[in-house]
Amino acid sequence: MSEATQTYQESLGGEVGDFLELLKPRVMFLVVFTGLVGLVAAPVQIHPVLAIAALLCIAVGSGAAGALNMWFDSDIDQRMARTASRPIPQGKVTEQEALTFGAVLAVGSVGCLGLMVNWLSAGLLALTIGFYVFVYTMWLKRWTPQNIVIGGAAGAMPPMIGWAAATGSIALEPIVLFLIIFIWTPPHFWALAICRSKEYERAGVPMLPVTHGDDHTRNQILIYSLLLAPLGCVPALSGLGGMLYLISSAVLGILFVAFAIHCWRTRDGQDAYRAAKQLFAYSVLYLFLLFAILLVEKGFGIGGGALPALWTI
Amino acid sequence: MSDEDEEFERRRHKRNIAIALVLAGLVVLFFIVTIVRLGGNVANRAI
Repeated sequence: MSEATQTYQESLGGEVGDFLELLKPRVMFLVVFTGLVGLVAAPVQIHPVLAIAALLCIAVGSGAAGALNMWFDSDIDQRMARTASRPIPQGKVTEQEALTFGAVLAVGSVGCLGLMVNWLSAGLLALTIGFYVFVYTMWLKRWTPQNIVIGGAAGAMPPMIGWAAATGSIALEPIVLFLIIFIWTPPHFWALAICRSKEYERAGVPMLPVTHGDDHTRNQILIYSLLLAPLGCVPALSGLGGMLYLISSAVLGILFVAFAIHCWRTRDGQDAYRAAKQLFAYSVLYLFLLFAILLVEKGFGIGGGALPALWTI
Repeated sequence: MSDEDEEFERRRHKRNIAIALVLAGLVVLFFIVTIVRLGGNVANRAI
């Protein structure tokens, strides 16, 4: 982007669609989806209008975090093929516009959630956005290969926010959902990072395959997968999931480990790339199905009680 | 007015409309949420 073009673009201002792109619509979908599960899984019935209002606030809050991330990371984004088409590297939106847009939406979404639903969920949303922007984006991402491990806490928060919106409190069930996403994030991102390690290296992001090599990353992926598979079944023990969930999560977990082992054993050339790519694709499907089954069970009233609840909160 | 100015005006106009729609939507949402949260208590007062 030349100096002249930048000034030209600045004077024009972005199109509406460019601003929508700053919200990271695909991330927003997963956030809203997992938030919805937390909301619906809660034992307290919330009025549908309030549920929609809560999800809207969570969606906008997620978008705000995305916009602020794109504001801060535009120097990295323009050096990676995956992100070079984002609005700021393309010169469609200026950094200043993205910062203002993200900050207004962050404050607005938290304020609206607090006013319309409750302040516990609003506080958790604020914590999530703050953690993602200040801790993950500004600090961890450029500093340590553990960036996405710790930063994954932000992405794992939506079920807790949804649960808090419905109940006004926190319980063990949403914490289990939090842990599932938290443990799922490293193998998910590292599978992608193996495929993109050259780009991350060029952009100066210390992803694990860049700092410790692909083989070490494969070991770590396998360890996290072995943790994730049993953890994915725990909602059936805490009374959240039913028999359908218990069986599905067991099968899906075994498949996750199978993909991880395949990735762990396939280390050379195009096959290694393909194995990592497959694991990445499957990891998205895994998390989506896990949460979708919880939703389906709740919808048909067949959730919980697969095993006697081992604990009650 | 130059092409550049016209393009600037066009984009600003579209952004303004988008912001207006969002604000109108928020007004409607806050109204409905207020009704929902008040519920039956709306009638619970001395007349």
